[in-house]
Amino acid sequence: MRSSNDQPITPLRVLYICLVLSLLLIITALISLSLGPAKIPLGDIFSWCTRSRPVDQTTLMILYKIRLPRILLAGLVGFTLSLGGVVFQALLRNPLAEPFVLGISSGAAVGAIIGIILGLGFTVGVPLLSFLSALLTIFLVMGISSRQGGLESSTLLLTGVIINAFFTATIMFFITTTSDSRLHSMLFWLYGDLSQSRYIQLSICLPLVLIVSGIIYFFSRHLNLMVGGEEAALQMGVEVEALKWISFLGISLITGVVVSFSGIIGFVGLIVPHLMRMLFGPDHRLLIPASALGGAIFLIAADTLARTILSPNELPVGVVTAFLGAPFFIYLLKQRGSQWTQS
Amino acid sequence: MGKKIYVNLVFVILLLFCPLPSQAAMYRDSLGRKVVLCSYPKRIISLAPSITEMIYFLGLGDRLVGVTRFSCFPEEAQKKPKVGTYTYINVEKVITLDPDIVIATADGNRREDVEKLEEAGIQVYVVNPRKVNQVLDTIERVGEVCGVVHTAKRLVSSLRERVTRVVQAVRDKERPLVLLVINMKPLMSVNQSTTHHDLITLAGGQNLAGDQFITYPRLNMEEVLRKRPEVIIISSMKKGESYERASKEWLQWPTLPAVQKGNVYLIDSDLIDRAAPRMVSGLEEMAKLIHPEIEWDEK
Repeated sequence: MRSSNDQPITPLRVLYICLVLSLLLIITALISLSLGPAKIPLGDIFSWCTRSRPVDQTTLMILYKIRLPRILLAGLVGFTLSLGGVVFQALLRNPLAEPFVLGISSGAAVGAIIGIILGLGFTVGVPLLSFLSALLTIFLVMGISSRQGGLESSTLLLTGVIINAFFTATIMFFITTTSDSRLHSMLFWLYGDLSQSRYIQLSICLPLVLIVSGIIYFFSRHLNLMVGGEEAALQMGVEVEALKWISFLGISLITGVVVSFSGIIGFVGLIVPHLMRMLFGPDHRLLIPASALGGAIFLIAADTLARTILSPNELPVGVVTAFLGAPFFIYLLKQRGSQWTQS
Repeated sequence: MGKKIYVNLVFVILLLFCPLPSQAAMYRDSLGRKVVLCSYPKRIISLAPSITEMIYFLGLGDRLVGVTRFSCFPEEAQKKPKVGTYTYINVEKVITLDPDIVIATADGNRREDVEKLEEAGIQVYVVNPRKVNQVLDTIERVGEVCGVVHTAKRLVSSLRERVTRVVQAVRDKERPLVLLVINMKPLMSVNQSTTHHDLITLAGGQNLAGDQFITYPRLNMEEVLRKRPEVIIISSMKKGESYERASKEWLQWPTLPAVQKGNVYLIDSDLIDRAAPRMVSGLEEMAKLIHPEIEWDEK
């Protein structure tokens, strides 16, 4: 097709596109920082950043304690989910794959909801329980689908779907038996809620996400081969099973961590990778960093809308990602095709 | 002969004591639905904790044959047979209990449940109080339907007096901006269409979220920082330890006048969430929190 993916992938081109996307990410973050119920002009933000002019106490508090941690966490969550989407789509060779397809989301949700029912705090208790339960789900799914150490893609997918269904029912059970204000907390968690962002959460997520994405990027060439089929990849010298175990576990680990703080935010992991594939082609050496950065931009933008569109009320961010994502995605799909079959 | 007169006399006396109205009485509930009762109801089912409280308040606890889960006040209400939660009524259970009347709420109970009960030939009286005054009217109305008009009037008028006392005490005072927190995470408050809003206003405060267009709006913390509430009242299920946690949460926002002045309080959510007689105590407590400078006589 006429997209730019005919151009060869050179390190320079990867660097160039990543720089442009990073710049876009910074601009999005700055705009997001200036938007909200309280009007804070961009000028004030610059003077805050450069310490050139004193900013009043309330503005400072809004910028530093409410908006900034929230934007950073949104970026990190978008980064992780989108990265997970790319990797899962490649490994499972399925365009519908996303980081939640193996049941992490519902696993994490069950943990979080039990935490909320027990009345645990949102800083430690709920995320911890949610993360543990996500981890348990992953081991369950991978354990069920592994045969003689090998992971078979379709078995893995099917197990994920079944586990998802089971946990969704569990969630419904808890929701119907709860009838007080904890119900609100649950529902907001289920549709993604970044309003509780704190710096401490970032300091937990960031190192993990960086390490895992580094490892994944190291294997980007292997992922290219995997898309062509496991047999072929095996013949080209890829340690297929090892790659699968490392990637599935790594991605699940970081997805579990970020989801335990953000709640379930759908669509990012599905559409951003496809979007990037349409824009930059299917080569994972470019697709992985582009998707991760694109995911960060997308989620920051979506969360900004979530907190401003009905201002001063807030929407769950998952509602916005789906509202925005679905029509935009369909438009692109009509225009350019999925680029999926071309790889 | 003498024996016959005696029997007749007993019969007449019995008639005198029997509270049967001469003909079927027709009432209209708050939704304008017709409710026809052939006699004063002896078997009552309450479909909400607030209604259970009203029934006990009217001294009709003995006639209550079914309540919903979470009907925890007064304590003896917990021993009554349960007919489900108030959002999910077990219609079969209600029918089995063979009530003369079922009292439901318009905003809590599901319409389908009420319709199903109607189809089963059960009289359902629906109440829908939205303001403190309407809660008091509703108590009277329920008393009337259950055949205790005079008791109801007497009890409610003493409640009305307590409300008036609060309203008069705060009449000429400044009205501080009050943030009522009904949920901490996410932060949620109440708009002007709620009973809570009415309570804040009657207690001499201004509701920070009154002008929101969603009934129970989710608030952005920025908005709260910008509007600078002078009093923060957290509606909570439990007392004690969670108060420490809740008030500590707010300490991270030292620019708020409420935090600076130490005006962060907890209130028992049952007192303000339930459209029941205890709401008047909720009002009194709220007025004390909003206007600590007034000398409230303890009673």
